Amino acid sequence: MLFLAPVMAVLGAVAVFPIAYSLYISFFSIKLTRPNRTPFVGLKNYTDLLGDEAFWGAVWRTVSFSLVSVTAIAFIALLVSLLLNQEFRGRRILSTILLVPWAIPYVANALMWKWIYDSSYGALNGLLYQLDFIDKYMVWLGDQDKTLFLIANAFVWKEVPLATILLLVSLKSIPSDLYAAARVDGATVWQRFVHVTLPAMKPGFMLVMIYETMMAIRHFDLFFILTEGGPGSASHVLSWHIYVETFRNLSFGSGAAMSYLLAIATFALSYLFIRTLGRKI
Amino acid sequence: MPITPPVDTIDYRRRQKIGRIVQRLVIVVSAIVLAAYILAPVSWLVSSAFQTETEIVSIPPHWIPEEPTLRNFEAIFTAGNDEPVTYETRSGADPAAGDFIPSTAENLLPSMANSLIVSILVVILNLLVGVPAAYAIAKIRFWGRNASVYFILITRVIPDIALVVPFFLVIRKLGMLDTLGSLVITYLAITVPFTVFILIQYFEGLPDELDKAARVDGCSRLQALIKVFLPLSLPSLVAVVLFTFLTSWNEFLLALMFTQTSASQTLPILLASFTSDFTVSFSFLNAAGVLAVVPPVIVAIVFERYIVSGLTAGAVKG
Repeated sequence: MLFLAPVMAVLGAVAVFPIAYSLYISFFSIKLTRPNRTPFVGLKNYTDLLGDEAFWGAVWRTVSFSLVSVTAIAFIALLVSLLLNQEFRGRRILSTILLVPWAIPYVANALMWKWIYDSSYGALNGLLYQLDFIDKYMVWLGDQDKTLFLIANAFVWKEVPLATILLLVSLKSIPSDLYAAARVDGATVWQRFVHVTLPAMKPGFMLVMIYETMMAIRHFDLFFILTEGGPGSASHVLSWHIYVETFRNLSFGSGAAMSYLLAIATFALSYLFIRTLGRKI
Repeated sequence: MPITPPVDTIDYRRRQKIGRIVQRLVIVVSAIVLAAYILAPVSWLVSSAFQTETEIVSIPPHWIPEEPTLRNFEAIFTAGNDEPVTYETRSGADPAAGDFIPSTAENLLPSMANSLIVSILVVILNLLVGVPAAYAIAKIRFWGRNASVYFILITRVIPDIALVVPFFLVIRKLGMLDTLGSLVITYLAITVPFTVFILIQYFEGLPDELDKAARVDGCSRLQALIKVFLPLSLPSLVAVVLFTFLTSWNEFLLALMFTQTSASQTLPILLASFTSDFTVSFSFLNAAGVLAVVPPVIVAIVFERYIVSGLTAGAVKG
């Protein structure tokens, strides 16, 4: 098919080939610190990871970051989509400004939150201080216990719009007869929400959860700018670990092995994603 | 005929009225909370960009600049015009206060140009590659059609970080590190699948009869696509252009790997380099941030309708 040829060529070159090549190099010990010797090591890059505490720590932090942020995204997006599904003055304006976080580049988002969280002059300190919640400025991103949550907050803020838009689609698809019927049957507002709205939103919800999880486990930009994995290793997530291993330790083989595992995790999720999406293709 | 129990109509009406008031109140309050949640962080960024360095370090912060200044933006637009901005010439600032414009400030506008060039090229290539593919999948029954759809879906979910290592090695071998070309090529990987996906949705919505009629009138497939389908698919094409543009404009990870100098550094890269420099003044940093935020936000607000339809088509099938 001539029409398909360009797309297949392009995707073959920029997506399939790199993924295959990445698998290939993950079987070698490639260190740019000694560029002329790249011995084949088989599965060693992978088996080394099994006993690598730094790797498992990073995996665990990626999982917690994703759990926290995806739960928050789904919950906030649910509330926002229920709100935007109502008719009220200013709804149009509100849906428009909802796109603002979505459009902002992640780097600018990171810069913005870094400044908000700033321990000396940031807005978060200023606000809490003026509201008398704290009596002196606090360290935020520099606090091991808070870092991951604060980064998740910046992530959530940027991802809520997309999730909301996706949920709104499934809300809009609920036929109003259903509500009318439920009302005739004497269902209260709460019962209508639980028995009509929520079940109808299930596919949209699945979509949001899977998609946002895929985004969260690969996320890199915020970690790079806000904390560089710190303080200590408090925000040393998998994507950051891959970056450090590859481009700071210049160990491309093991970097490729880890990114391959991440890719497999994503593919597993995407299987669900595609099944949810592709059902009607 | 069953006897209906007597209803206390007055009580019923009053309860309904109270219910409606409560509902309105909940809506208004949550709308305000939502607007604040979205706008407060951005407003703080914008407000900080118009403050002087002395004002920006006041405790507690000034939410609205008391002496708004354009100096930070001036520094960006005039950087490199006369003398190079260095630690010594930074307009007589006080180094102790950290009032420092980095010497790389002059690269900010060129980096915006780089971002623009890359984004436009990626948009064009996306259309050239994506439109025929989407048309073929949506309108032509051929063997392997489903397989092609799944193939494109799968490439859509490959994490960019998994592409970084192989891309880097290949691009280094090709001698393409630090070129805009390396960005254009790699950005195709993260944009083309989405483009094809959105277009398939749209083309499938157009009636097959259009295709048949055009063919009966003697159009080739290509003519049918160009003369009949493209004019009808303008909304989805706009959505594709916007998405591809914004994705390329905002991309960070790949650009971080492949760019080294101002020859190819894009805006996000330069911005990131400012944030890691502790001597850079906060006010300048925020002004640079505002500059990075304004173009995509304007695009998003102006084309809101297209973006929302694209997002829903791109993620939700049917």
